[in-house]
Amino acid sequence: MLDPVLLIALPLLTAFLVPLVRRAWRPLGEALPLLTLLFDLALAISYVPRALEKPIVVIIAGWRPPLGINLTIGPLGIFMAVMILFVAVLVAIYSIWYIRVEPKERYCMLCLMLVTGSLGMVLTGDIFNLFVFMEITSISAYALTAFIRDRDGSEAAFKYLIIGSLASNFFLLGVVLIYSSTGTLNMADLAAKMPSVDPRIAVPAVILMVVGLGVESEMFPLNGWAPDAYSMAPTPIGAVFGAIVVKGAVYALARMLYTIFNFQGVIHFLVIMGIVTLLMGEMAALRQRQIKRMLAFSSIGQMGLILVALGLGTAGGLVAALFHMLNHALLKALLFLTAGYLVYHSGSKEIADMDGMGRRVPLLAVAFSIGAFGIMGLPPLNGFWSKFLVISETVKAHYVAIAALALVGSVIEAVYYLRVVGRLFFKPADERVRAARLPVSAFVSLGLLVVAVVVIGLYPGWVMHVLQPAAHELLDKSFYIHSVLGP
Amino acid sequence: MKKVLALASLAVIGFVLVSTLRLVPFGVNKMNPQVAERYLREGVARTGSVNIVTAIVVNYRGFDTLGEVTVLFLAATGLGAVLFDKRGKRTQRTPASLIVKSAALILFPLIVLLGAYVFVHGHLTPGGGFQGGVIIATGFLLMYMAFRSYDVSHTWLMAIESLAGTTFVVLGLLGLVYGRSFLYNFLPLGTANAVFSAGVIPLIYVAIGLKVGSELTGILDHLMETIR
Repeated sequence: MLDPVLLIALPLLTAFLVPLVRRAWRPLGEALPLLTLLFDLALAISYVPRALEKPIVVIIAGWRPPLGINLTIGPLGIFMAVMILFVAVLVAIYSIWYIRVEPKERYCMLCLMLVTGSLGMVLTGDIFNLFVFMEITSISAYALTAFIRDRDGSEAAFKYLIIGSLASNFFLLGVVLIYSSTGTLNMADLAAKMPSVDPRIAVPAVILMVVGLGVESEMFPLNGWAPDAYSMAPTPIGAVFGAIVVKGAVYALARMLYTIFNFQGVIHFLVIMGIVTLLMGEMAALRQRQIKRMLAFSSIGQMGLILVALGLGTAGGLVAALFHMLNHALLKALLFLTAGYLVYHSGSKEIADMDGMGRRVPLLAVAFSIGAFGIMGLPPLNGFWSKFLVISETVKAHYVAIAALALVGSVIEAVYYLRVVGRLFFKPADERVRAARLPVSAFVSLGLLVVAVVVIGLYPGWVMHVLQPAAHELLDKSFYIHSVLGP
Repeated sequence: MKKVLALASLAVIGFVLVSTLRLVPFGVNKMNPQVAERYLREGVARTGSVNIVTAIVVNYRGFDTLGEVTVLFLAATGLGAVLFDKRGKRTQRTPASLIVKSAALILFPLIVLLGAYVFVHGHLTPGGGFQGGVIIATGFLLMYMAFRSYDVSHTWLMAIESLAGTTFVVLGLLGLVYGRSFLYNFLPLGTANAVFSAGVIPLIYVAIGLKVGSELTGILDHLMETIR
């Protein structure tokens, strides 16, 4: 039985080793990141049965919590880890051919550290450790945004850097406040001690943390960085933002609000913020002319839907939120990765220049349409189930008006996605765009994503099997505390 | 109007933050008996490190330190990626005077020695890997300032950086093999106050010192290239 800390240690080790190995033997240096991620994915999947049975508590440096740092790998953590690693592996495969801008080795290192950081975020059981891993994730995200060294990329990265650092400082200030009143950083210990903390300190702390994590999870007034960062970063990184960076932050938000603080008022506040985020994102997406910007705003809209479900505070709502997180990760990765080649073949970022791509590069257009239909929530694709669950759970929790507004958002979404799909298939193609074939790397990664989208759509029960214990882990605070600190 | 709104919200946020922070008593013993007090009470006996800050940073919370080292590594890697093959405008820099040049040659080895001293004795005296590494980097900064053509080999910096990072993770993994968990202190603790004591703590601090030193030198080198 391998120690689960390897999930975090191995990608980190590879990131440190890549420059050395690449100098020693180039082919191995190029293949090593992908091999590590594949091994990590297999490792994560092998822990699923054990984590579902009982959270795995991994001691680090030989000190039991709360003295040292530990990893707590419950159903929720392992679900997030598998999702992150699955998308990371596909992005790594896709990047083999797509990324040809030097320095490629630094691109690999930054991506590996981004994955390390987000895995650390979802697996750790220590709040300061969460902050450290959040820093790792976001700093690699800033650097990757500026990876294409042009003016726009640097501007987007700089904006992201400023907002992101401010956000992490807010989060850190929140950690400082609760550490000063409890003297512990272990999340289970904090959760146990929280009821006795002076609310005059706890409430500002939770607000600081929600603001800090709200930036990364694209909550409404704090998401100014997202459209630029998504559209200016290399395309695979857009997929990474939507599927990994933002999801890690939402996980942290859920963990803070449910396991540690558990203030009902703040949790329900998410419903309001979520619906505003949803409507703002969808309306902005409707007006976009560039495909990657449209996808970025659509991503903001979907995050709004997830926040609505997260704020319901019921088991059904949490299952819906987590399910939609998974589906959005897969679908947005699919959309971004296809959009990358749509832009590449048409030679333009504008939606107007994609006319007739369905005839020139049919596979690509079909993959994009599957992604678009999935996001819109057409059965039998996976997006249908989670959207249906989110809306029906919202109605069940007596937020009928919110559910109606979410449906309005879905209609707007259908309008702008169908507009693109219609252009791809039913407009005459430009003479200059020639028929092209996809490289193998793109074919494999897009193919696997399409398969995942369809299979989850046909058999949602498999995922539910993991999601229900995960939602239970969030709702039942004492279960989490006991599994870490003992009864 | 926008500015007034921004100032007003800033004032509100500032007021709330200050009034919250005022609720936290300052200078009062509010140590958690299960955490901070135990570090102080049994730290030296159980980690072998006389410098209790080092014991916490490298051993009790070593995983955080691995993360912090990664953050610095990321900053250097990210800067390297962003400034990749970016050459400066070749502005004329005034050459340093003879006094600066000769002093730099004398001071440089001493500064590096001091840096090495600080990180080797990290478990005994105040300071440690991060501080020692920064001191070493200031030595290189002095050389950059004194000599216009001074250059450090990128290959070597990269190699030291990678090797030191790898050493940290591998020491952690050895803890898994020979001990009970990742980053476990699997070497004998020795007698307190001796240079060879505290198990893996000094080894990790040497790795961190070399890593921080080479990383910051690398950052300086990248930034120097853009103005050269």
